[in-house]
Amino acid sequence: MSAWLKFLRHYGPVPRNDNMYDETIQRSARRQRMQPIEFEHPAQEMIVNSFNMLTPDPVSVILTGTAGDGKTHLCRQVWKTLKGDDQGWASDNPYLTIESQYPADRTSWPISNENSLYRTVTIHFIRDLSGWAPQQGTAWEPEKEELLHKFCKSLFDPNADEIFLIAANDGQLVESWRRLRQTDDVRRVRQIFEELLVEDRREQSGIRLKFFNLSLTSSAVLFDRALDAMLGHPGWNELKNNLSAENDLFGPKCPIRKNYELLQSALVRGRLRSLLELSDYNGLHVPIRQILLLLSNAILGHPDAKDHLMSPDDVPKLIAAGTVSKGSLYNNIFGGNLSEIRRQSITIFDYLERFQIGIETTNRVDNILIFGEGDELLGQYFEEFVSADSFYGADSRYYAAKREYVEGINEDDEKSQNFLNMLVSQRRGLFFKIPIAAEEELHLWELTVFKFAGEYLDSIVAALKDRGAVRRPLLSRIVRGLNRVFTGMLINSDRELYLATSGNYSQAKVSRILVERISVDANKGEKIILLYDPADGRVLLTVYFSPTLSETFHLTLIRYEFLSRIAIEGALPASFSKECYEDLLAFKSRLIAAHSTRQGAERLTSSAAIGLNLLTLTDQGMPNPRVVEVTQ
Amino acid sequence: MTTYAVPLLPPDSFDQSSSMWVDEAIWGHRLYDEQLPWFVFLEFLNVLHHEADKGRAFTEPAGFNTLKYRARRRLHLRNILFNNPHLTEIRQAYPDDEKRWSEWLKRMKGATGIAHAQFDYLKNHFHSFDDFSETVEFIRSTSLEVDSNKRWTSKFVFPYGSNSLYEDLDNSGSTNDRRFFGRTGEMLYLMFCRAERKQDLLIALKTKLLKTDQAWDSIIKCLQPTEEEPLGGERANSFLPYSSHRCFDELAQDWLSILSLNIPGFDVMPHLINLVGLHLLRYQLVVSREILGLESPLQLICEVVAPKKTLVREISCDLYQENNLLPAQAIEAFISRIEGSPPWQRAILENGAFEKCLKILREEVRWGEDYDGPSEPEQLIGALRQSAMKRHRQHVANIHRNYGREIGLVSKRGTVKLRYAPTDALLKTLLFANVEKRTELHQFLERLHVRYGIVFSDKQAEQVLPKGEFEKKAFQANSRRLEQRLGSLGVLKRLSDGCAYVVNPYHVATNEQ
Repeated sequence: MSAWLKFLRHYGPVPRNDNMYDETIQRSARRQRMQPIEFEHPAQEMIVNSFNMLTPDPVSVILTGTAGDGKTHLCRQVWKTLKGDDQGWASDNPYLTIESQYPADRTSWPISNENSLYRTVTIHFIRDLSGWAPQQGTAWEPEKEELLHKFCKSLFDPNADEIFLIAANDGQLVESWRRLRQTDDVRRVRQIFEELLVEDRREQSGIRLKFFNLSLTSSAVLFDRALDAMLGHPGWNELKNNLSAENDLFGPKCPIRKNYELLQSALVRGRLRSLLELSDYNGLHVPIRQILLLLSNAILGHPDAKDHLMSPDDVPKLIAAGTVSKGSLYNNIFGGNLSEIRRQSITIFDYLERFQIGIETTNRVDNILIFGEGDELLGQYFEEFVSADSFYGADSRYYAAKREYVEGINEDDEKSQNFLNMLVSQRRGLFFKIPIAAEEELHLWELTVFKFAGEYLDSIVAALKDRGAVRRPLLSRIVRGLNRVFTGMLINSDRELYLATSGNYSQAKVSRILVERISVDANKGEKIILLYDPADGRVLLTVYFSPTLSETFHLTLIRYEFLSRIAIEGALPASFSKECYEDLLAFKSRLIAAHSTRQGAERLTSSAAIGLNLLTLTDQGMPNPRVVEVTQ
Repeated sequence: MTTYAVPLLPPDSFDQSSSMWVDEAIWGHRLYDEQLPWFVFLEFLNVLHHEADKGRAFTEPAGFNTLKYRARRRLHLRNILFNNPHLTEIRQAYPDDEKRWSEWLKRMKGATGIAHAQFDYLKNHFHSFDDFSETVEFIRSTSLEVDSNKRWTSKFVFPYGSNSLYEDLDNSGSTNDRRFFGRTGEMLYLMFCRAERKQDLLIALKTKLLKTDQAWDSIIKCLQPTEEEPLGGERANSFLPYSSHRCFDELAQDWLSILSLNIPGFDVMPHLINLVGLHLLRYQLVVSREILGLESPLQLICEVVAPKKTLVREISCDLYQENNLLPAQAIEAFISRIEGSPPWQRAILENGAFEKCLKILREEVRWGEDYDGPSEPEQLIGALRQSAMKRHRQHVANIHRNYGREIGLVSKRGTVKLRYAPTDALLKTLLFANVEKRTELHQFLERLHVRYGIVFSDKQAEQVLPKGEFEKKAFQANSRRLEQRLGSLGVLKRLSDGCAYVVNPYHVATNEQ
């Protein structure tokens, strides 16, 4: 009755997780008569359409991305579209071919079935380049190398009747091409790959190739689809239909059931989705395989079970042992059930760890958790978030540890450490429990390292998507942050952007020579705006020097956080200051270069006098430039 | 084995009065630890400008080691900038512009090192005393060594251009006492004279320096009188013992790479200077290894600073110590070579052995005059060893450490022991000098290893470490940390687990030029 849970467990961080690979999952699903967790990849339609009747003149396609992005799965969808047989696909051969009819005139699909109107196109599937290219240190087999040479050539041939579908990790792709016998075509193609990869593009004009980098897919969208598919899996029905006793699997005390139900709640789901969306905005892509691993671990995680994932048989034992709370979804989401080493080696947990949820906190939150019980003001929160949660809130272990900690009965470090660990779990729980209405009051996002993350999602990204603009105070704050970085002074101006240098080092910490001021509001072609780019889901800050001259900066979450903190607090947050600071100085360099372009011939030296614009601040932090003239 | 370059002898015209000639014979006259890379660069610029004016830059027309040049002294400028504590006080005490000028000019009459000091010319360049003061304050704030407690004559205005160059002088502003311009910059100049691509380099330097904003140099010029100030005395007797060396070529190559980039204005200088430090340090160690007959190339195993002690750190510490001893060992070997030479071996068997040996030492290493120990060749050469080592330790032995620290190659961060742990600034320099547009990370690492012996990752470490010492995981973690650091510098684009590129943002596309 619990075959489904056993199957689900194989998606998780177990040593042999068969369900991680499309090839093996198909087999194990057949063997266990289980339906795999399946959903349509956001790019599937576009990829399949490149081969079906919507495309009269198909070109080669490369599916690339990181491990677990769904390359093989999508290959299989194309194979099915082209009516390839299942048996052929089930073979171990990394290379398959199929023939298909396409219009002979390459422009539109004929109405008639007349044979002469069609041409036969051979489609070469290299569904796993790593299985095709030779092992490191061994030489190419001639026919394999030949095929790839043929591929390279076909990309430049408008009359080619052979096209390719190649699935490969980006690293393998570049590596394989370096190891091929170098011809002009090979070199050219390698260069093209490199450019498409590094510049996140899909096509290059004149080249018969579509290049799908699946790592550019939104992790949040993948999460939505994966979660729906997992929660909607028929395997749950069987569990739900079986009336279980109190201490049985999927009974009222079963942590698996609780976790399953929690994942269905809009609040938990929404917060988890936010974390993935925010990862996207920080340029961290989570592949499908990692999302499924996260979901499996979230439901089944428990530190005391074998491989730290519960099997159906474990449940009654864990209930009896009174350690159900250790299987908390809130903790499992962050891999808290796993050993530190194991956790650090898993991409998704590495990414989620960067939010520092459980470690970051506010006095208020800790007061609720430690002193809230029975308190006049905080009591209701303690009640709502901690004691009312009979599963993962305060159990007797928590109360006992809290009492010892507060009363200082024991100076045993280990015991207080034990309580501090429980606090981490409770704070994690709070992150998923605080209702939307109380987000602001309880400063939800201060439970993460990104205090401004909520604002970034709601007032920046969503506002730009909906209205195409953000509230003025937010833009002003960004400009103030930029000004502080660009001048190295605690400047308070936010109506203009101040470009300054130190005279001899554009990257200097303090820049006192004012080069130019750029108006934030539209003025003589100058303006500073924020935009959301729907093509790649990025927030862009653009500084216009003139209607045709501008520079753009990718405003990631981390950069937004950085600028906001500098604008408000003045201090540079040490934890991630370095990276952002460097990026901003590089942006300043580009802005100064753009300014020079606008200046054109009006060089400083052309006149008899040299003007120096020295920047100082008033007591209120307002800029007070002073022009000093030196006569030559 | 790398061919051991036959060292040159000092030319006959050379000043023979200087003391012992051991460090100098091996590395040149001279590597000076108190002249840090910035000052090496400044001294070099003085030589270059002088020689370029004479139309003979990067050549040695009279033969090897015959460089003679004169540098500017610019005492008016330096008195204004670094020997003039009056500005703020005068601005506060005198409300009237005229009074301010006259009071200041009066006080400056006693400016050091200038006979009949006259600063009236300044009034032609500034609308007010305030403007003048602001300008001076600002230029002072961008100068070198402003905050150090070096004497005022060892403070330098940023090298904005030819009007900003001058030589280090003693306290009274009368002569270069070699306190901070210890000839290492002259040696650097000689290295370029003997580098393969010196002509390309000369063109690149001229082009790049012409492209910088001349306004600043013009302002510096305005702080100086219109009539030329007297030049400093003739500088000569610098010495570089090899007519060619791959270290010279590699340095020139790196400078060329940096100069070809689209790095704005003066930002190029810190990179050039980092490379000067790195290559001088390498030159000392590489030559030491040649003298010691060590065939394997120099290795610099670098830790990317980890929060905790790691195996890489330990290995790097040990290797640092090992490399640090190389120059001293080279001295030892150099002296042993004299001792093992046929003339010495003959001399000790002959009558008057001691006198003959003393003569050999006087000729070879200019030492022995003051020796008053036992008249035995063995004791004599023992005493030479001792005193050569003692002298070596005073300055030349510290190049590896001082230059290494100054350019950010050597560090104590997170521990008490020194080891190789490059800073972000140095990593950037290395990247800019070695990546044209972009290249895969592991190819970049391979290049750093081939060119400098720098090791970060497991792949390179495996080649150089004995089996017992090599631990794959430790070095993999090290290169992961490197990757993070490069990422945080905005010069790395990671595509996925298997693929990352390092990118040079200052690359100039050829079709744009």
